Amino acid sequence: MGICCHCNMGYDICDDIFLLDGIIRIVMSIEVKNLIKTFDEKKVIDDISFKVEDGETLAIVGFSGSGKSTVLKLICGLIEKDSGEIITSEGDIAMVFQYSALFDSLNVAENIAFALRERKDLRKKYTEKELAQIVSSKLSLVGLKGIENKFPSELSGGMQKRVSFARAIVTEPNTILYDEPTAGLDPISSTLIEDYIVRLKEETHAASIVVTHQMSTITRTADKVLMLYEGKSVFEGTPQELLRMENEYTRQFVTASLEGPMKIMA
Amino acid sequence: MITALKKYYKQSATYKIFSGMFNDSYEFSETLGNIVIKGLQTLKFILKGEIEWKEVMAQCHRFGITSLPITLSIVGMTSVIVASQVALEMVKQGGGNFIGLLMTMLIVREVGAVMSGFAIISMIGSSIASEIATMRVTSQIDAISVLNVNPVRYLFVPRVLSGIFMMPIIVIIASTVGVIAGAVTSNLSAGLGYRTFFDSMWLGIYMKDLSVSLLKGVVFGGTIALISCTTGFYATGGAKGVGIATTKAVVWAFVAIVIWDMIFAMTFFF
Repeated sequence: MGICCHCNMGYDICDDIFLLDGIIRIVMSIEVKNLIKTFDEKKVIDDISFKVEDGETLAIVGFSGSGKSTVLKLICGLIEKDSGEIITSEGDIAMVFQYSALFDSLNVAENIAFALRERKDLRKKYTEKELAQIVSSKLSLVGLKGIENKFPSELSGGMQKRVSFARAIVTEPNTILYDEPTAGLDPISSTLIEDYIVRLKEETHAASIVVTHQMSTITRTADKVLMLYEGKSVFEGTPQELLRMENEYTRQFVTASLEGPMKIMA
Repeated sequence: MITALKKYYKQSATYKIFSGMFNDSYEFSETLGNIVIKGLQTLKFILKGEIEWKEVMAQCHRFGITSLPITLSIVGMTSVIVASQVALEMVKQGGGNFIGLLMTMLIVREVGAVMSGFAIISMIGSSIASEIATMRVTSQIDAISVLNVNPVRYLFVPRVLSGIFMMPIIVIIASTVGVIAGAVTSNLSAGLGYRTFFDSMWLGIYMKDLSVSLLKGVVFGGTIALISCTTGFYATGGAKGVGIATTKAVVWAFVAIVIWDMIFAMTFFF
């Protein structure tokens, strides 16, 4: 009998596991408890808690500077928390960056295969032929084919974003973090990207967190929504509850009003 | 009362001078500390044999081949400048037999390594710093970290190793070109025979000089690459941050080369 990597309890008593087709699966989830982060004596994340289950998508919304991207950076370990807990199930955390962050000196295939070639535990695990097949399958998953030898500078913003999706899922992560995935894209490309977020969730069954400003991204991709203002959680609920605007913060956000409790520095 | 005094003190010139000095000292210590830490981390990967040789070769090509024309031009021209001013005067004073010795000592001991170092800093060091700083400000280094690849192993190790491997070779080639340029200039400006120049060349040059010159190449190459990588790695902000990191890399590498050169001079020739 094994031990659940999530709660360290035996599989027989652990709530985080369930039987699916007779196979024991450990829930791929992420839980954040009382997270606090301070920069220069200013609390940018102030006592935030949430949980995202396997196959679920949480949208973190809020005005610019409310601490949304900082939450993602804390989860994937790019910055260290001051206090609180970030509990993730065993496995990889992938992140899709705001402006793709593709390696501009590498071509698309090299970008996607980067982790498989360079990571200590994966290095030399795959032959070049296998790597080419993996790259091709991941590119197909994001609707791109035949661009393996192109460099990021030769791709449109939307294509770069989809390549960064492919790069993120190449290690089959348990958690995928999206930092403003539709930033800088036209509405049609944004819809396409939103479709791929949903598709990747269905294909990988990973827990996903999407940081966004856009209502369409929230309604099309998210199962639940967390709204931040000045590092604090001011709303937590479903997209439908957000749209009902029962909270003064959600009302101001949804109606994009200047009047309300959230003040933006002019 | 105390608050008012504090406020007054914070607006005073004394406070501004001391806080400025403190900030500069803090930034200096921080940069030095970062260079030492990254140097040790790079060394750890090298000793563990975690080296991507394909990337090392690519960086060697960049470090050595692309910089060679400029490096040779700078060392060659420095040699021409010195020889054209010294050769005629030495011949007049009856010291023509020692021009070859003087020029060779100057080039092998100093000019070859130091001028090559300066050329490499301006061409390769600045290029490495701006490349890595751009990767930092465009989140590419964050992406490397999130993909569970160590950025020091991926970025620092190949560049530092290429500096260590290629710089001594550059120094040898540059010194050879410098000596030949000195001989040609002495012949043209003072009518000194090539045989006289090359016969006197060996009078005061020992294996120690050549070894120290090669060692300087190894140390300078590693130092330039390490400083350039580190300043780029810790760049902040956007385009301005890339510019600041590049300038910092050039200034720090120049100063480091001079300090290393002084240490070599005092250790081996004092």
